[in-house]
Amino acid sequence: MNYFVVALKPMEILKMHLQSAHKLKLLGLSIGTVGLVSLSAPAISQTSTSNINQQALAATCANCHGTNGVGVPNAGMPQINHLTPDAMLTQLKAFKSGARSGTIMHQLAKGYTDEQLQTIANVLGKK
Amino acid sequence: MDRRHFLGVSSAASLGVLAGCASSPPVNISKANVIVVGGGYGGATAAKYVRMFSNNTAQVTLIEPNAEFISCPLSNLVVGGHTTMANISTPYSNLSKRHGIKIVKDMVASIDPKQKTVRLASGGTMKYDKLILSPGIGLMMNTIKGLDKANQEGATVQAWKAGPETVLLRKQLESMKDGGVYAITIPMAPYRCPPGPYERACQVASYFKQFKPKSKVLILDANDDVTSKGGLFKKAWASMYAGMIEYRPKHNVVEVVSKTKTLKFDVQDDVKADVLNVLPLMRAGDIAVQTGIANSNARWVNVNYINFESTAAKDIHVLGDSIQIAPAMPKSGHMANSHAKVAAAAVVAELGGFEINQAPVLTNTCYSFVNAEEVVHVASVHQYDAKDKTFKTVPGSGGLSSEPTKLEGVYAWGWARNIWADSLG
Repeated sequence: MNYFVVALKPMEILKMHLQSAHKLKLLGLSIGTVGLVSLSAPAISQTSTSNINQQALAATCANCHGTNGVGVPNAGMPQINHLTPDAMLTQLKAFKSGARSGTIMHQLAKGYTDEQLQTIANVLGKK
Repeated sequence: MDRRHFLGVSSAASLGVLAGCASSPPVNISKANVIVVGGGYGGATAAKYVRMFSNNTAQVTLIEPNAEFISCPLSNLVVGGHTTMANISTPYSNLSKRHGIKIVKDMVASIDPKQKTVRLASGGTMKYDKLILSPGIGLMMNTIKGLDKANQEGATVQAWKAGPETVLLRKQLESMKDGGVYAITIPMAPYRCPPGPYERACQVASYFKQFKPKSKVLILDANDDVTSKGGLFKKAWASMYAGMIEYRPKHNVVEVVSKTKTLKFDVQDDVKADVLNVLPLMRAGDIAVQTGIANSNARWVNVNYINFESTAAKDIHVLGDSIQIAPAMPKSGHMANSHAKVAAAAVVAELGGFEINQAPVLTNTCYSFVNAEEVVHVASVHQYDAKDKTFKTVPGSGGLSSEPTKLEGVYAWGWARNIWADSLG
């Protein structure tokens, strides 16, 4: 079975990626082709209340962006796992404030407190 | 197993670092048996995240009768002829290979909440410390007279659990002559996947438009109006499928006459169609009803939203479409995956004697294809309200697409691949 077969023609995807990539590039982001394959999602380093809570909060991003922020390569969703915590927080706050537009992230980011966004960036940002 | 971690948990417990709200005395996590029933978006995710949150120590068993996971989201593209079943299917094997989850291919025959045991359909009993139940929906076939018979005679189909019926519906559409009528009936909300029927109408129309242009799509909705993405769907129907899709609200089916393929309504005139996609009222999955925990209108399971524990049975946590929803919480795959993470964290905390998270968060994202490539979404963020003990959407957050786009079509597939990997990978 092949998850990478879609109804869209490859050139159209590429075109759309280039369009959105151009917009993202202006904001210092890149998407798409760089991705890490996580063969085994690592367990959290230590089981504790705060660790579990932080992991569970960051896991609200995983539905779209992959477990621990590592998305399926070339899936069609922007990758976030190359961003440092600071860069991720900057983008999340830009979405929240409306400084950065998007299809959906500007709507989702507004649902989190600044503290929650900080936690997410700390957990998912590239160390 | 991580022995230091194991000892760490035990000593924390013995020092009395216990949560006041833990529902059971803590047990050694590595000796805890967590049984998950149902390997859909809720159950598969819960199984994986209990392993992750417990540092791969809790013993997790997933009981699921199907050989592979078939996604309901995107299955309407199979109905429309724009993708294949293989493209929306994912094996369960990674849950065992990568996460050490024991997978039992079976059905649960019964649950004994007092003894904390599960009896398998094939025989044999398993004991649990925590049971996570994610059985999806049950279709209330007997709420529409003649529906069971019509199904048996091939006059009606639901295809509301992705699988063989999805393929059957596609075949019925392919066999239909040009100039025929496809009718989909929608039950009163709440039901699984609020925008799903309207997306399906778009998909069938996109197929007709190309291959059977004289045909019609009838949407017969028991509700007063479109229940999700109404403005976006109506615009798509008018602009893309003018004269082909007809929407009729307040049409509550009460009877199906199999022989003449006729639908009868409580008030409105009869409707005949060539392909009849009849969706009855829905309720929690059969095993939840049978266990006696569907205590909301005898249809849905009331849960404590902070940990998704059934209000009727201690240590049974219920996820996904089976629960009585909080305000504005849709019955969706994405939401079930979100429930699963909150429940998994709570289950691990309770087993370990930690305080459970007092401020869990859920998200929902739902993409609908209005044709082969163009997509609209609805999204929301739900924060736990400790005072009212429920989840509430955050004012000013969430929202809809402004119009269908191909870019969101790419994101919809990206969402699917990532949530399949997040749930099963």
